[in-house]
Amino acid sequence: MRRFFTPVFYTVVILCMLSVANTYAQTAGKILLKGRIIGSKDKLPVIGATVVEQDQDKRVVNGMATNLDGEFALTVSDVNHKLVVSIIGYKTASFSIGTRRVFNITLDETSNELTEVNVVAQAQVGNGTGLNIDKRDLTTSTVTLNAKDVEDLAATSIDQAIQGRLPGVDIVSNSGDPGAGMSIKIRGTTSINGVSNPLVVVDGVPYNTSVPSNFNFATADNSQYADLLGIAPSDIATISILKDAAATAVWGSKAANGVLLLTTKRGRKGSPSIAYSFKGTSQVQPSGIPLLTGDEYSSFIPEEFMNVTGVPLNTQSAKEFEYDPLDPYYYNNYGQNTDWIAAITRKGLQLDNNLSLTGGGDKASYYASVGYTKQTGTTVGTDLARLNTRLNLDYSVSDKIHFTTFFSYSHSKTLALYGQPGDVRSTAQTKMPNSSIYEYDEYGRLTPNFFSPASNVQGQYPGTYNPVAMALAASDVTLSDRITPHFNLRYNITNTLQLNSDITFDISNGRDGSFLPQIASGRPFTETNVNRTTTSDYDTYAVLTKTSLIITPNLGDKNSFQGLVQVSSEDDRQTSQSATTSNTASSSIMDASAPARTASSGLSIGSNLLQSRTVSALINGQYKLLDRYIVNVGLRIDGDSRFGPGKRYGYFPEVSVRYRLSGEEFMKKFSDWLDDFSFRASYGHSGSAPSKPNDGNYLFYSNYLSTSTNYLGLAGLAPSTPRLDNLRWETLKSSDAGVSFVMFKNRLNVDVDFYRTRISDLLTDIDLASYTGFSDVLLNVGTLDNQGFEVFLQSTPYKSKKLNIDFAFNISNNINALRSISPYFATQTGDVTTNGNYLQVLQLNNPLGSFYGYKFKGVYKDADATVARDGSGAKIISPDGTPVQMRFNYPTTDYLFQPGDAQYEDINHDGNINYQDVVYLGNGSPKFTGGFGPTFTYKGSITLSAYFNYRLGGQVINQAKMRTSNEYSYDNQSTAVLHRWRVPGDVTDVPRALYGTGYNWLGSSRYVESSTFLRFQSITARYTFNKSVASRIKAKSLSVYFTGQNILTFTNYTGQDPEIGQGSGIYQIAVDKAVTPPLKQYTIGLSASF
Amino acid sequence: MVTMAMSVCSCNKFLNLRPQNGITSDQFWQTKEQLQGAVIGIYNGLLTGPAVNYFEWGEARADYVTPGAGVSVDETNIISTNILPTNGIVDWSAFYRIINLCNNVIDNAPGVLTRDKTLTSTVLNGYLAEAYTIRALMYFYLVRSFGDVPLTTKYLGSDNDLVQLAKSPKEVVEKQIISDLNTAEPLAVNTYGNVASDKGRVIKTTVQTIQADVYLWVDDYADCIAACDKVIGSGKYGLVPGDADWFNNLYVVGNSVEGIFELQYDAQSLNPFYSFFATTRPRYLAYINLIDNYSFDELDVNNVDIRSYDVAIHAADQSIYKYIARTPTSLRTSDASYAHWIFYRYADVLLMKAEACINAGRGQDALDLINQIRTRAHALPGTEQFPGVDDKVALTSYLVAERGREFAFEGKRWYDLLRNAKRDHFARLDLLTDAALISVPPLNVQSALSRLRDTNALYFPIPQLDINNDPNLVQNPFYK
Repeated sequence: MRRFFTPVFYTVVILCMLSVANTYAQTAGKILLKGRIIGSKDKLPVIGATVVEQDQDKRVVNGMATNLDGEFALTVSDVNHKLVVSIIGYKTASFSIGTRRVFNITLDETSNELTEVNVVAQAQVGNGTGLNIDKRDLTTSTVTLNAKDVEDLAATSIDQAIQGRLPGVDIVSNSGDPGAGMSIKIRGTTSINGVSNPLVVVDGVPYNTSVPSNFNFATADNSQYADLLGIAPSDIATISILKDAAATAVWGSKAANGVLLLTTKRGRKGSPSIAYSFKGTSQVQPSGIPLLTGDEYSSFIPEEFMNVTGVPLNTQSAKEFEYDPLDPYYYNNYGQNTDWIAAITRKGLQLDNNLSLTGGGDKASYYASVGYTKQTGTTVGTDLARLNTRLNLDYSVSDKIHFTTFFSYSHSKTLALYGQPGDVRSTAQTKMPNSSIYEYDEYGRLTPNFFSPASNVQGQYPGTYNPVAMALAASDVTLSDRITPHFNLRYNITNTLQLNSDITFDISNGRDGSFLPQIASGRPFTETNVNRTTTSDYDTYAVLTKTSLIITPNLGDKNSFQGLVQVSSEDDRQTSQSATTSNTASSSIMDASAPARTASSGLSIGSNLLQSRTVSALINGQYKLLDRYIVNVGLRIDGDSRFGPGKRYGYFPEVSVRYRLSGEEFMKKFSDWLDDFSFRASYGHSGSAPSKPNDGNYLFYSNYLSTSTNYLGLAGLAPSTPRLDNLRWETLKSSDAGVSFVMFKNRLNVDVDFYRTRISDLLTDIDLASYTGFSDVLLNVGTLDNQGFEVFLQSTPYKSKKLNIDFAFNISNNINALRSISPYFATQTGDVTTNGNYLQVLQLNNPLGSFYGYKFKGVYKDADATVARDGSGAKIISPDGTPVQMRFNYPTTDYLFQPGDAQYEDINHDGNINYQDVVYLGNGSPKFTGGFGPTFTYKGSITLSAYFNYRLGGQVINQAKMRTSNEYSYDNQSTAVLHRWRVPGDVTDVPRALYGTGYNWLGSSRYVESSTFLRFQSITARYTFNKSVASRIKAKSLSVYFTGQNILTFTNYTGQDPEIGQGSGIYQIAVDKAVTPPLKQYTIGLSASF
Repeated sequence: MVTMAMSVCSCNKFLNLRPQNGITSDQFWQTKEQLQGAVIGIYNGLLTGPAVNYFEWGEARADYVTPGAGVSVDETNIISTNILPTNGIVDWSAFYRIINLCNNVIDNAPGVLTRDKTLTSTVLNGYLAEAYTIRALMYFYLVRSFGDVPLTTKYLGSDNDLVQLAKSPKEVVEKQIISDLNTAEPLAVNTYGNVASDKGRVIKTTVQTIQADVYLWVDDYADCIAACDKVIGSGKYGLVPGDADWFNNLYVVGNSVEGIFELQYDAQSLNPFYSFFATTRPRYLAYINLIDNYSFDELDVNNVDIRSYDVAIHAADQSIYKYIARTPTSLRTSDASYAHWIFYRYADVLLMKAEACINAGRGQDALDLINQIRTRAHALPGTEQFPGVDDKVALTSYLVAERGREFAFEGKRWYDLLRNAKRDHFARLDLLTDAALISVPPLNVQSALSRLRDTNALYFPIPQLDINNDPNLVQNPFYK
C-alpha cells in the first residue's frame, strides 16, 4: 500500500510547495484606503462592486464589496500593489496605489453587452502532453475535428460522431444495439492481440476504456467502447487523432494503436450563458434477410429429411409437422406463420437533453453541464438511460498560479438481452416459424403463456428457445457509475518556465445482473439453466499523476523553443465479484441475492483482483527557426509492472521535422495565393504491453491456482500458465512523410501523408500444441508491416456574401504484410473438408486477411452432370467401362456427389474435390476507405450539409447467407431456398436440402462477396433564427435542425450491411454474422443559448 | 528534481506486483502441503478433463452404442468410424495436460525434501509413484487410441522450455509406460488408511493392475500373469456377490471390495455422464439388440444375467443405465450424478489373466477364470461356450464376448476388440469388422468396413489443431 501512495504523495507535496512558495512574498504593513464609487452616466453609487488589492502577478491579496452608498474601506499590505474595481455592467478599472489613500472613482458602463466571447485564435493542438503548438507548426500527422462539425449528429458517443470523417481512421460499429461500442482502427491493423482500439486521452489524461476483462459481463467485448459514452458529445470541444508514431511516442507504451485526444469545453469570461440542446431520434431497423413462412418451412423440412433417408419424416414422432386438426395442441402450437424477427423488433427512439452553463470573470470561469439520454433499442428488451454531468472550473489565483478542476460523473443503466449480443436475433432468424409465440392449450385456446417447450425437433436450450420470451422475460441489466475528478495546477515559475501538475482519480463501478427465467428456457426444474441468475459487481480504481516542467525561453523573433520534462505514474486496480445461482422458485425472483441453488456444475461464485502500474518519464522539445525549419524531438521511458525484471522498461524515441517552403524568400512571389506549403517527416516508436483476461497482468509468473473442486476431501493446485520469461514490449516503429498546402486565403487546405509502420515482437495469444499441457500462451510472435497514404482536403469552392459552399474529402489506403512469424504460431487454420470453413493461411510478405476455398459452380442438375470429366471435358471412364462419379475428399471422406448437390470446380480434373481444388477467394481488408461531403451555408442562417463515406475493395464472407441457406438442419432458412433443386433437370444455384449430411455448404465462392459500398451517411439541414426572432424568447441564439443518418447504401452486397469489421487475431478475415445492422436514424434537434 | 530522483529510485519497488489469487512458481515447491496440492491437482485433472474421452474413445467406435436423439455430428462420425482430424472427440489435450502436471511433480517434488524438513522420503516416494502411474495410464490411453504419439517427460515451466516434438513410435511410448510403472511399483504406498483413498488414489496394487493391462497390450503374457497374481495374491479384493445389492454396491455407492481404481465423483464434482445418457435427449443409446448378448431363459423370465436388464440397458428406451440409475426402477437426479468412473476392478484382473492364459497355452486356467465371473453374474446357459482348451481362436472369442458382457459401457470395449484383433499381425480382424456391422448405421456400413480393413484407420488421426501448431507432427498414415 505504501508504494502505491508514493507517486500520489509526491504530487501532493509539489502542489503544496507551490502554493506555499507564493505566499512568501507577502510583507506586513497596514495601509488603509477609502473611497466611493459612482456610475459615469447616472452618477449614482455603485453597490456591490468588488474592490480588491492585486499584486504584480494579479493575485488578489485582499478585497471587499462596496456598501449601499458605494463606499469602501480596504486595508492593503503593499503600496506597490494595485487597486482594482470591477462589477458586471461596468468596465473594470485599475489604479496604482503609491501614496494615494482616497479613491473616488467613476466607473464607465459597458456600452452594450457582448453576446459571446469567442476566443478563436490559431487552433492549438499539440500532442496532448502540455506543449502548445500551432496547428500550422505541427510536425506530425494529426487530424483535428471541432465539435461544431459533429454536433448535429444523433451520435450517442464520440466514436459514432467521428465515424468516416477522418482519413486513416476506420471505425465500424459492432452492432446497432443501444450502448454497443465501435471498433476503431487507426491506420490499419497494428496489434493482433485483439486490442486495436486507440488510447483515449481526455484533457491530457489517459482515460481507461476497458472494464475488467474477466468480468462476467455478457457483453464485455462489445461494451469496451461503450464507456466512451460517459462523455457527452456536447461537452467535447475538440477531437484530435495522433496517427504517426512520432506523435504517439510521447504516450509510449499505450499508444501503438494511435491516440485520440479529447478536450472538453471550458468556461469563458463573460456573463453566464446557458445553452440548451435537444435531440430526438427515431431509429428504424432495416429489413433483414427474407425468411420462410411457417407453411413454407413445414413443407421444406420433410423434404430435407427425406432426401437423406429416402423415407418420409415420421410425423408421429415429429409432431411439429403433423398438422392434424384432431390434435389441437400441436395443430395450433405448430401451425402458425410467425415472423420471429418482426416479433422482437420495434421502432427505436432516442432522446437527448443537454443543459450547460458557462461564464466567468477575471479570476474564475466555469463550464457546467448536465445531460440526460434515454434510448429505446430497436430490439425488444434493449434500452439505455444515461445521466452525465461535468463541471470544469478554472481559477487564476494570480498570473502565476492557475488551478483547474475537471469533474465528471456519469450514471447509466443499460438493458441488454440475456446471453451474447446478437444471440436472440440470430435465434429468431433460425427459429421454426410454424411454432407459436404464445401457447395454445389442448383445446386449441390461446393462453397468455409463452410457448417454450422443453425441447422439440430443433433441439433445446441453449440451441433454441422462444426469442420473444427471451426478449421480454429474460434480462441483463447493467448499472454503472463513473466519477473522474481531475485536478490541475499550473505554476508560472518565471515567464519562461512553467510547472504543470495533474492528479486524476478515475473511479468506476458497475453491477450486472442477468437472469434466465424458466419460461424462456423451458427446461425442467432440475436443471441449472432454469431461473438462472448471475450477478456481478466490478470496481475499477485508477490514480494517475503527471508532473511536467515546460520551458519556453524567449529567443527573439527568429527562433523559438518549447521544451518539456515530465514524469507520470499510473496505478490501476480492478476488483470484481460474481455469483451464479439457479432454480429459484419463480421466474420473478431475479437476483442472486435470493437464496437459491449454488452448488452444481456451471454455478459458481467468483472474485478477482487485478492490479497494474506504470511509471514513465518524458523529454520533449520543439524548436522553430525563422518560421521555416521546425524540429520536434522526444524520448519516453516507460516501466510497466506487467513485465518481468529485465524486460520492464521500454524506450520510445521520436523525431519529426517540418520545413515550410513557402517561408523561403524565393517563394514570396506566390504568397498572394499560397498561404502555406510545408513538408513534414517523422519517425518514432511506440509500444504495447500485454493484455490478456484473468492473469493478464502477471504473465511472467507461473501461477498455481486451487482447483475448483476437491478430490477425496483434499484441495488441489495446478499451474494455470507457464512462466513467460521472454515476454517483451510489442514495438511499433513508424515513419511518415507528408505535405501540407494552404492556398487561396485558407480556401483550400490539403494534407497528404505517406506512412510506413513496422510492428515487431507482435504480441498475441498462440495456441500451443496440446502435448505442452497448456492450451495457449501470450508470445511475441512476429513482424508486421503497414504502409499506406492518406489525403485530406478541405475547400471552399464558392464564397459570396450570401452563399458559402464548403467541400471536404478524404481517402486513405492501407496495405499490410507479414514479415516474420514464430514457428510456434499455426500458419494455417480452417478445415476445407468440413462444411462452412474457409482455409486461412499466413504467408510471409503477403497481406493478412486472405482466405481460400472452393469455387462454386452451381448445382449438379442430373446424374449425367455428376460424372467426372477431364481437362478436355470428356467423361472419365474407369477400366471396367463405367463412368467415374465425382467424389469428395477421397479416400478419407469419399462422398459420391449426387444430383442436386453443390458443384465445386475440379481445378485439377481428377474427379476428386479435395484440398487440391482450393483457390484464393479474397481478402477482407478494403483497398480504399474515406468520405466526402459538401456544406452549403446560405446567409449564415441556413446550413445544409451532406456526408458520404465509402469503401473500395475487400471481400466479405457472408456467413448469414451461409447459415440461412445451408439446408442442413431444422433451422429456418431464407426465401432463397425456395429455388432449391428438387428433381433431376432442375437448373438452379441452390442445392437440394439435405439434413445433417452432404457437402453443400463447404467454404466456397458462393458466400464470398465484395464489400465495396458508397453510403449516403448523413444529411443535415439547420436553420438558425436571426437575432430578432431569438430575442423574442429571450434567447441569444436559436437554431433547429434535421438530420438523417444511414440514408442509402449503394452496394452489390446481398447481406444486410457491407460495412463489416475485420475479425480479431492475425487471420483478420471479414465475416458478416448479421447481428443488428446499423440503423436508419432520423433526428430532430434544437439548440438555444440564453 | 529531488522528487524525480526519488521517484525513479522507488520505481522498481512500485512496479513489483504479484497475483493475489494463487502461489507463484518462485514460491512453490517449498512445503509438503504444496506438494500434496500438486498431486491432488493431478487427480482433479483426471476428474474434470478427459472424463468424456474415457467413455467415447473406449466405446463409441465399438459395437455397443448407437446414436441417440441428442447426438452431435462429431459423435455420429465416431460411431460410423468416419473420423476426420477435425473431429472434436479426437482432441487429446486433456490427457497431455495431466501428463504435464505429472511431469511437474516428477521434476520438482524431490527438491521439496531439502526445503521442508518435515517431509519424509516415504511420503515423497508415494507422491512420486502416483505421478509416474498416472502419467503411464495417460500415455497408455494415448498409445492405444492414436498409435504413435509425441512423448514428453519434462515439465514445461517456462516459455524457454517450448519445443516442437515429433511423434515417437508406439514401441518407444510403450517402453516408457512400462518403465514408469516399474519405477512406481516399489515407491507406491500399500494403503492410505481409508477405503475411499485406497480406491481413489494410486497404491501398489493399482500400479500392478495397470501393469497387467499394459503387458497384455504388448503381448507379454508371462509378466501379465505375474502382475495379475500379485493383485490376486494381495488379498485386498474380491468379487461383489451377485445378489440383490450387487448393482447398488458396485456402481451406485462405489468403492466396493471389487474396485481397484475408481474416480471419486461426488456431489461437488459431478460426472459428465448425465447429459450423455439422461432420458430426454440422450447422446448415446445402447445398441437395440444388446440384450441378446446375455441370452434369456424361455421358461423363467426372472432368471436373468444380473449384468443385463437395467444395468447395461434399460430395455424400454434403450438407455444406458450404469451411470444414471439409482435402482432398476429409478434414476439419479441431475444433481446427484456422481457414479464413480471405474478404471479397473477385480473382475478385470481375473479376465486379463484369463486372456493371458489363453495366449500362454493355459486354456483350462482361462476357462476357470471366465467361469468364476459367469457364476457371480448368474450368466445364462445360452451364452455359455465350450471351446477346446487349445483352441485359441474359440477361447479368444469366448473371452471377448464375456468381457463385453461384464464391462459393457465401462470404456473397455474398443480396446478389448483392438487388442485381440491386432495380435499376430491382425489375425482376428474379424472381431472388429463383425462389431462394425452391428452398430454402424446401414448407410455407412460399406465405407466403415473398408476403413476398418485398413489397419491404419484403427487409430485416431492426430488432432488438426496440433498438426497446425507443430510442423514436426506428421498426420497418421490413413488420414494424410
